[in-house]
Amino acid sequence: MNKINFKLDGIDVEASSDETILSVARRVGLYIPTMCYLKKTTPSASCRLCVVEVEGVDGMILSCQAKPTQDISVTTNSEALIKERTNIMKLYSVNHPLECGVCDKSGECDLQNKTAEFGIDQQSFSAKDQYREVKEWGLLGYNPSLCIMCEKCTHVCNEIIGDDAIEIEYGGYSSTITPKGSDTLDCTFCGECIAVCPVGALTSSDFHYRANSWELTKVPSTCPHCSAGCALEYEVKNSHGGEKIYRVVNDYEHTTLCGAGRFGFDYIADGSKDEMKLQSAVDAIKGAKAIRFSSQISNEEALMLQKIKEQQGLKLFNEDARVYSKFTTPFSSLATREDVKSSDAILILGSRISSDNPAIRYAITEASRHRGASVVNLHPIEDALMQNVITQFVKYEAGSEEGVMALLVQRLVCDVDDATKRYLDSLDDGYLSAESNFGEDELDEIAAMLSRKESRVIILGADLLSHPRAENIAVLASLLQRYAGFKVLVVASQINTVGVSLICDLDLDDKSIDGTVGYGMPAEFTISYDDSADLQVAPLSQQEGTVVTLDHQLLPLNVAVEFNGYVLNDIANILGIGKRDTVDFTSELPQSAGFKSTAFDLLENFYQHDGLDTRGYFIDQTESGANSTLEDIEDLAEFNGTVIYRCDEVLQFNALTAKCAALGADSALVGSAQFAVAARVSDGDLITITSAGTDRVREFKLDNTLKGTIALEPMVDREPLSLLGRYRYEKVTITKGSCDE
Amino acid sequence: MSLEEFKNRDISQSNYYKVDIDEYPTTNSAKFFQVVRRTFKGEMFVGLWVVLREMFKFNIHTLQYPKEKLPITPRYRAIHEMQRLFESGTDRCIGCGLCEKICISDCIRIDTRYDESSRKEVSEYTINLGRCIFCGYCAEVCPELAIVHGGRYENVSEQREHFTLYEDMLTPIDSAINGTQKEYPGFGAITPNESVKKTPLAY
Repeated sequence: MNKINFKLDGIDVEASSDETILSVARRVGLYIPTMCYLKKTTPSASCRLCVVEVEGVDGMILSCQAKPTQDISVTTNSEALIKERTNIMKLYSVNHPLECGVCDKSGECDLQNKTAEFGIDQQSFSAKDQYREVKEWGLLGYNPSLCIMCEKCTHVCNEIIGDDAIEIEYGGYSSTITPKGSDTLDCTFCGECIAVCPVGALTSSDFHYRANSWELTKVPSTCPHCSAGCALEYEVKNSHGGEKIYRVVNDYEHTTLCGAGRFGFDYIADGSKDEMKLQSAVDAIKGAKAIRFSSQISNEEALMLQKIKEQQGLKLFNEDARVYSKFTTPFSSLATREDVKSSDAILILGSRISSDNPAIRYAITEASRHRGASVVNLHPIEDALMQNVITQFVKYEAGSEEGVMALLVQRLVCDVDDATKRYLDSLDDGYLSAESNFGEDELDEIAAMLSRKESRVIILGADLLSHPRAENIAVLASLLQRYAGFKVLVVASQINTVGVSLICDLDLDDKSIDGTVGYGMPAEFTISYDDSADLQVAPLSQQEGTVVTLDHQLLPLNVAVEFNGYVLNDIANILGIGKRDTVDFTSELPQSAGFKSTAFDLLENFYQHDGLDTRGYFIDQTESGANSTLEDIEDLAEFNGTVIYRCDEVLQFNALTAKCAALGADSALVGSAQFAVAARVSDGDLITITSAGTDRVREFKLDNTLKGTIALEPMVDREPLSLLGRYRYEKVTITKGSCDE
Repeated sequence: MSLEEFKNRDISQSNYYKVDIDEYPTTNSAKFFQVVRRTFKGEMFVGLWVVLREMFKFNIHTLQYPKEKLPITPRYRAIHEMQRLFESGTDRCIGCGLCEKICISDCIRIDTRYDESSRKEVSEYTINLGRCIFCGYCAEVCPELAIVHGGRYENVSEQREHFTLYEDMLTPIDSAINGTQKEYPGFGAITPNESVKKTPLAY
């Protein structure tokens, strides 16, 4: 890439061709004030504080969007510039309410800082003030009189999140932010607009007027809800009624957080110590044949379970991690979210990504907005939330993922070895495309799009992992990686699915086995973060430990609020394999699986000023070397009749998010008008859903944004055992009324 | 005594003298006789006589404490009082939390919330008087003159908590409305003789 040399305040600096004057200045440590600049979005150029002078050029130049040219000489500070900036600040301060004392920003305010910096101590301009109504938008509150129209919120909403839910209503002095196309805000409530707001205009309703930022202790940690492991900081305050998490914030310059991370923290448990319960847990483990555990545990706990397995000679069941581990074996390495952000062609297969993993969705949105990436979504159900970024939607029949993957491979790979070529030639593509409803034209369109694209990513979702033919699908997908230049991202379902799959030696879950102990999963003796469990242990946000995200990054977790009960290490200590602290296991994580021997206390957890990620470390992805063989495609399963898709609402991931009052878990079955007609139900009906011997009563809700004949059923409130090893689509019978009647 | 004389710390100078004290007894018998002598000499009645004499003179300087109290200076820092706005009677406290922040003995706790009229409302306010050192920083930092040090210095109660609740410290509403709330002089206070306007928030 060509380097550009120019002078910045007399210093010789070098810039790459995509850098702006402002980013060069920030990099070399020169200060240019800004009000509206956000590194992760395109410059909105609304504040005009970042003006600089270029020698030989008349007028002032906006450094946030101007790129330097060879040999120019830039001045960032002169009397004229200071006067210009001071005038802008004077205008910002016109009629800004003097309620700094009670404002939620409580001193962390850009406007306050800049006003002090430029010494604006009186209002030298005046404007007739007008009535501005304070708005309540669910989890968000908006106070237009505090708003300075920097446009950061609309930019993140559009470019990073992809909701595109708020816009600016232009009107000069009376401009405001309004929900796009409706009276109230209808978005996924990620709260990123709250995070980026430089003043107290956009606030979290839950936090509104509850505390000042200086009273809150920041606990940097990792979000425990989905597999993305986003960086967050719990803000904790000891107040009347003990220590509590007041809010969750993120380093919004470099990271993005979804609503589950930001608003889903009120599941904190106090815990209590009861020697009897602890001893009965130890006895249960000693007498157990197997431990069934969830992936919502830290690496250290996974290592302890593995040691318990070796000591006690029992089996370890974790279907989620076992399936993930088997699925990812054929791939040489897996992509990260950064790869998605920097790609220009993205295929999504088998995932309703907006609810499965919002972090990946944001990466896709960023790729689409900033790099013009083409995004193809292949799924049986169209997703209205993704329509802003999707360039092509391909609808296939539920259950036909193997066929879809085979057709993709057949069309997209080239220069394959002979055996693969023979295999691909022998595919009955007529049958496959007829059964899967994935046509020639759609394939052509994908191939034509890909022919112009350099960096390609395919995202493989949970539908494929739960598919009965998951292993063959993975082998087929590995051909795309090997012969078609695709990077592969597999959507792990939970926070530490990847870590557990690397650490534990898992066995196939035999549901009929007697004598099981559950760790975060139901079993005969249950150890869980739930207070109804036989022994309550700390949830992830109240433990120290590490997790491995889907990016294969090991990240530290810290204790947000102290837990007064037991942790797994206490049990391990009685069994004689424990250590003083749980985190003493961190340096012992298996290096053969790619872990490093770094001790927990040496792990960093922040982003540097230039955005460099210093959190934890990346796991070396070891190639399994297992020879995977292609199997013949089986007859594609048909899903006729009433079909439902297990899919949580956006921001719901697990039993913990379901507990969070702010996230408001809804247990209704959501279906389109078409589904309602086919299943003969109507909006608000109480229905009984029967599948594979289990009944559940739910309300039916009609959602007009949905299309097709497949309804969405939440899974956070379902018995985890009944979902083990089950494909995400289910054929059900629906009867009106509850079965008790 | 001149200043120079006063500052002279040289004890070898002649204006220092030794107090004439008897030698302490060393033998047991001497010790016994000293005890007997002291016991029957009646020194106690010397002191009692002074009290008796002063009592009959009726020239009493003692303050009859629970009935009488000394006036305390306006700058005295006793138990805090929470003030109200004139006329409307609304709490002056806006819940900014500066008193909690500045408190060096960390004895103030404040919880706030969003109230029905979308204002910041103080939901809990306590001062732990067992920890309070009465430094006065909270009153000094208060931007609204809401927390002040009152003159109530009698910290006697069955429970410390009796002094620490917001409601107890808050001016009774009737005295705020009829204007008998005492304004406390001090840093940032209303200057004497300045006419106080009716509260602007009375709409």
